[in-house]
Amino acid sequence: MNNVWQSGFIEPMVAFLKELGDFLPHLVAMIVVLLLGVLIGWAVKTAVFRVLVTAKFDQYSGRVGLSQALTKGGVRETPAHWVGRIAYWVIVLVFLMLGLEVLNLKPVDQFVAQVFSYLPHMLIAVVILIVGFLLGNFFARGTLIAAVNAQIQEARFLARAVRIAIILLALAMAFEQLGIAKTVIVATFSITLGGVVLALAIAFGLGARDSAKDFIEKRLKKERETKEEDFSHL
Amino acid sequence: MTAPMMREELDHRLEAIGPAEILVGIPSYNNARTIGRVVHAVGAGLAKYFPESRAVLVNSDGGSSDGTPEAVEKSTVDLQSILVAHRVNPVHKIVTPYHGIPGKGSAFRMIFEIAKTLGAKACAVVDADLRSITPDWIELLVRPVLKEGYDYVAPYYRRHKYDGTITNSIVYPLTRALYGRRIRQPIGGEFGFSGELAGYFLEQDVWGTDVARYGIDIWMTTTAIARGSRICQAYLGAKIHDPKDPGSDLSAMLAQVVGSTFTLMEKYAEQWKAVRNSEPVPIFGFEYDVGLEPIPVNAERMIKAFALGQSELMSLWAEILSPEKLTELKAMKADGTELRISDALWTRIVYDFALASHRRVMVHEHLLKSFTPLYLGRVASFILETQSLSHADVENHIERLCQCFEGEKDYLLNQWDKPKI
Repeated sequence: MNNVWQSGFIEPMVAFLKELGDFLPHLVAMIVVLLLGVLIGWAVKTAVFRVLVTAKFDQYSGRVGLSQALTKGGVRETPAHWVGRIAYWVIVLVFLMLGLEVLNLKPVDQFVAQVFSYLPHMLIAVVILIVGFLLGNFFARGTLIAAVNAQIQEARFLARAVRIAIILLALAMAFEQLGIAKTVIVATFSITLGGVVLALAIAFGLGARDSAKDFIEKRLKKERETKEEDFSHL
Repeated sequence: MTAPMMREELDHRLEAIGPAEILVGIPSYNNARTIGRVVHAVGAGLAKYFPESRAVLVNSDGGSSDGTPEAVEKSTVDLQSILVAHRVNPVHKIVTPYHGIPGKGSAFRMIFEIAKTLGAKACAVVDADLRSITPDWIELLVRPVLKEGYDYVAPYYRRHKYDGTITNSIVYPLTRALYGRRIRQPIGGEFGFSGELAGYFLEQDVWGTDVARYGIDIWMTTTAIARGSRICQAYLGAKIHDPKDPGSDLSAMLAQVVGSTFTLMEKYAEQWKAVRNSEPVPIFGFEYDVGLEPIPVNAERMIKAFALGQSELMSLWAEILSPEKLTELKAMKADGTELRISDALWTRIVYDFALASHRRVMVHEHLLKSFTPLYLGRVASFILETQSLSHADVENHIERLCQCFEGEKDYLLNQWDKPKI
C-alpha cells in the first residue's frame, strides 16, 4: 500500500513540485519582462507623442490627407496619438516575445522564432502601405492641378483614379510582402489593371465614340483658340 | 550648317579677341525668323553710337534646329544704310551653345561668363524674337552704364494693354511694393548692366534653380535692387515680338516667375521689410507715342479656366488663402463674360500665396501651379474692365493696383513672422 502511495502520488507530486519550482522563476522573469515592456512602451509612447506634437505632425498629416482619411475611417484620435499607440504596442509585443522566450518552453520558443522572422515582413508591409498612401495623395493632387490647368473637365475623376491605382499597387505589394496569396494577388492586380485599360480602350473606341469625338474636337478647338492669342504673359 | 562652338574653341576665340569694352548678348532658341534683324540692329547700334569701342556680340543658343546660328553668322551691317561714314571697330560675333538646364537663364549665364572673361565694362541683352528693335535700343541700354555710372538699366516700353499680363498684374506691383522702386518692366527681357554686376550675377549659386529658366529676369532686377546698385530705366518705344510659341506652358512659366519672386522674398526679407512706399526710377530716352498692333484675346476661355479651378481646387486653396477671401472666391460668379476680381481681392490672393510659400504649407510646385486659374481669372477680369479704356487709362488702372499692393503691405508684414497655423 505504501509502495502504491509512494509511486502513485508522492513521486509524481515531488516531480511536479520540482518542475514547478524550476518553472516559477521563468514565469516571474516573464512577468517582469512584460511589465518592463509595458513601462518602456508607455515611456516611448509619451515621448513619441510629444516629439510629434512639437514637430506639428498632425498639421502635416492634415496637409497630406492622413487626418481626413482617419476621420473618414471613424478614427477620432489624432495621427500623433496613433503613432504613439503603435509604438507602444510594437514595444509591448517585442517584450511579450522576449518574455515567452524566457519561459524556455520548446513549442513557445518555436512560435516566438516564427513571429520574429515574420515581424520584418509586417513592418515592411506597413511602411509600404503608408508610403503608398502618401504617394497616392501626392500624385492625385499633382494630377488634379495639372488636369485643371489643362482645362480637362474630368480633373477630379483623373485624380481619384491615380490615387486608387497607387493605393491598390501598394496594397498588392504589401500582401506580397506578407506572403498572403502571393500569386493570386499579383494575378488579380495584373488582370484588373489590364481589364481597366482594355475596358477604357473599348469604351472610348466603341461605346463612347461620340464622346471621344467631342473630346478630341474640343481639345483641337482649344488649341486653335490658344494659338489665336498672340499676347505675351511676361 | 554652322557647328556650335565647343568650349575649347570658345576659349581660343575669346583669347584672340582680347579685352572688350561692350558686350551685347542675344539668348535664342529657334528664332531664325527674327534673329537676323536683331543682330543687324545690334551691329548698327554699336557702329553708330560706339564706333571707337571694342564690342562683342554673343549669341547664346539653346540648340536651335531652325538655323538660328546660321542666321546670326550671315547677318551683316550695311554702314551706309545707317549713315555711318567714320571708321568703326569691327564687331566680333560669337555663336555658342550654353550648358546646364535648358532655359533663358542658362543662356544668360554663358553671356555673363564671356563678359567676365573679356573684361567688358558695359553689357546689354536683347531678346531674339524682337520685331521692334532699333539701333537706338543699344545706345539706350549701354550708355547709362558706360557714361553715366549706372549699374543696371531696365527697359521701359509702350506695350499693348493686354501684353505682359504677368508683369502688370503680379511682378510690377509686387516688386514695387516690396522693394520700393518703380521699375515698370522688371521682367522685360532687355537689360543693360555693368561688367562688374555681370561678375556678381555669375558668382551666385542659383543656376540649378528656376533662375536658369524664366526666373532670370526677376532675379537680375531684384538682385540689383537688393545689392543697392544704381538703377535707371531706358525708354525703348514699342515692344513688338514674334508670336509666342503655342507649345509653351503658361502654368510652368508662371510658376517659374512667381516661384523665383517668392524665393527672392525669403532671401531679401530684411531689405523689403524695412521699405515703406515707393520712389520713381529715372527714365532715359525720349518718351514718344507709338501705335500698337491689336492683340486677339479670349476672356471667355480664361473665365472657363478660372471656373474649373473654382470648382475643383477650392479645398486646396483653403490651405493657402485666408478664410474671408476664400468665401469671397467661392461666392464669385464666373460665367460667360462675367467675372470681377477686385484689386483688393487680387492683392490679398498674391500676398496669401507668398505667405503660403514662406510657410511651406504644401509642395512648392503644387502651390505655384494651383495659382494659374486664379491668375487667368484676374487677367480675364482686367480685360473685361479695360476693354474700352485707352493706354493712359489702363496705366492709371495699373497704378491703382500698385497702390493697393503698397497699402496692403502691412498685412504681409504682420503675417510674415507669424508661426505656421
